[in-house]
Amino acid sequence: GVAPLGPVQLPKQCLYQLHMLEAACRHTIYPVDSQRLRPYLPPNPCPTPSYYPQQALQHSDSVEFFHRLSTETLFFIFYFMEGTKAQYLAAKALKKQSWRFHTKYMMWFQRHEEPKTITDEYEQGTYVYFDYEKWGQRKKEHFTFEYRYLEDRELN
Amino acid sequence: LNPSDGSNFLMSSAMSVASREVESDSELLEKTERLMRDWINLYHSNTPPNKVFHIYVQSMNQHGILKTDDSITRFFRLSTELCVDNCYRILNGQHANNASVLEARTKCFQTLDAFAHLIVMLVKHSGSNTGSMSESTPKINLLNKVLGIIGGVAIHDQEIRNEEFQHLPYYRILIILLMELTLGPNNLGLPAMNNFQHQLGFGINPSQVDPLYESIQYQVLNAFCQTLKLLKPSKAPSFAFAWLDFIGHRIFMEKCLNGPNSTPSIISTKGWIFYAPLLIEIIKFLAPFLRNVELPHSIDLLYKGTLKVLLILLHDFPEFLCEYCYELCDAIPPNAIQMRNLVLSAFPRNMRLPDPFTPNLKIDSLPEIIQSPKGASNTLSALATVPFRKELDSYLRTRSPVTFLCELRGYLQNPNGSDGNRYNIPLINALVLFVGQSAIQAITPKHISMSSIAHSSHMDIFQNLAVDLDTEGRYLFLNAIANQLRYPNSHTHYFSCTLLYIFAESNTEAIQEQITRVLLERLIVNRPHPWGLLVTFIELIKNQSFKFWNHEFVRCAPEIEKLFESVARSCMQQQQK
Repeated sequence: GVAPLGPVQLPKQCLYQLHMLEAACRHTIYPVDSQRLRPYLPPNPCPTPSYYPQQALQHSDSVEFFHRLSTETLFFIFYFMEGTKAQYLAAKALKKQSWRFHTKYMMWFQRHEEPKTITDEYEQGTYVYFDYEKWGQRKKEHFTFEYRYLEDRELN
Repeated sequence: LNPSDGSNFLMSSAMSVASREVESDSELLEKTERLMRDWINLYHSNTPPNKVFHIYVQSMNQHGILKTDDSITRFFRLSTELCVDNCYRILNGQHANNASVLEARTKCFQTLDAFAHLIVMLVKHSGSNTGSMSESTPKINLLNKVLGIIGGVAIHDQEIRNEEFQHLPYYRILIILLMELTLGPNNLGLPAMNNFQHQLGFGINPSQVDPLYESIQYQVLNAFCQTLKLLKPSKAPSFAFAWLDFIGHRIFMEKCLNGPNSTPSIISTKGWIFYAPLLIEIIKFLAPFLRNVELPHSIDLLYKGTLKVLLILLHDFPEFLCEYCYELCDAIPPNAIQMRNLVLSAFPRNMRLPDPFTPNLKIDSLPEIIQSPKGASNTLSALATVPFRKELDSYLRTRSPVTFLCELRGYLQNPNGSDGNRYNIPLINALVLFVGQSAIQAITPKHISMSSIAHSSHMDIFQNLAVDLDTEGRYLFLNAIANQLRYPNSHTHYFSCTLLYIFAESNTEAIQEQITRVLLERLIVNRPHPWGLLVTFIELIKNQSFKFWNHEFVRCAPEIEKLFESVARSCMQQQQK
């Protein structure tokens, strides 16, 4: 490097700062320090060979990308990546595929057929739902989906 | 007790000092410990915190915590210290317990996040919540108080622990507070998500901000900026990396620089005034090390981080850099060329810059060239208090007395400066800018040209400085001019002509060599290069009237000669395209 004006004697206080800074380097910043807690999939940086992708695909944070993912992937993202933009996009993609979130059971339901009964308060019929405990899709006959448990907020 | 009264009680009691109860520290410590433990358990239980919060405030009241301003202060101080001590235990025991970095940190976060959320709730519920503007005062007061306490504990901690200081507890509490208070806990609209806790945050939809906070966003940002000032790197060097991470955090940058409720079309510049001093602070901190080219690992790391923040600013907030370039250039040491180029390369996003290599580019025909750039007022205020201000004004007006020119050099020197530190750089910068601005006013921006700028009181000052200053002073003076060579505007045009005029009219080759040096050393570094700088240099080597190639310094060393040839070639090639 060039020091066109020549070096000057660093004041004592600068030397102290430098000493503390060097020490601070030993307790460096991790990306998690400034991220909201992710209980299921905490980021765990480790060296990966350079011939593996080091970054996510371009535009993988777009709704279009999420529409191309399988339903199970979307459920995984929804349940294991809470509080992220990915969760939001997954919810959006699921809604687009006519899945509806049940706020009491915390599960996603899809009509298997036209409901037998539809009133102002509920609808009843056969549904497919995703059981996050058994981790799979199940069918439920004679199920009453009460609208007060329907999560119907517009995800804009 | 009505649970909802608990929060009202908080601030009203904070104001009354009458019923002040003296309580020993150990007693309060015990209470605080118990209360913190309770809160952390509540926070991690499956009940949403807004449901349990009122019950919790009741129990805080029963313990007399919220009784006086003093007891509130002591409670926050003690609870911060408890959280911090807890983190040190976990982090220091990490190796003994064979825990991974991630495990140890996650464990710390459990305490820290809970504490941060307690603060958020207390801030939110202090004062009344009827929707009027005045009720935000107790919230902001409490936030400022808590942030002040956290900052104070951090400073104290650094003094005690020195090299063993850890940024984690302080940084974590501050960043979680920032996110919660500026983004809100924006959930998906999925109420009572017991299994998923309560924090579904996206930060992608500004309308999700809690309306309670919306009216106080700037006060919240200001409170954080004040806390960062308290913890600035020169005062808390151990915290410097976390500090830089905070001011480079996407949420903080976005909120400060685009404004809290920004849309692509409406960008608020109100937060710029908070953000600029922080950026200048980190540059000033680095300056002595950069200037001496003493770059041990830690400085190198901090320097690269600062460059990254500047790159983000250049890409996403160029108008901010345009407006604050003067203050930033005052802080950036003369040899930090790339850093300064990053700042000077910024131009307003609605502008299209013509390729500087375009043959026969007519600068004066660009429509933008008569507009003056924004900013600069703070820089010029440096001139307001100088003893020679009257003489300067009268010289610019009357072009006399000539003695002023002789005295000017003395005014620009530091009274007891040693070699390499003999001049007041911000003063030189301010003088050059001020004289240039008044010259543009005198000839009107439309008529700037090589001939119109000549033979005036302004040019007298510039030419005198070029001749009268020693090498060090002249270098700083020419740098001050080169700092104005940016995107197409009246300053760029005027100072480009000025620099070329000084080159053409100089009586010694030393001045010409130094002008060439200042331009060249800003161009041989990696991109970006300011537009006006390129245009000026190309003019210098292409325009026959400057007889650039006849000068000896162009051929002083084979590698310099080669360098000029390659620069010339790249200009010519571009020209033929």
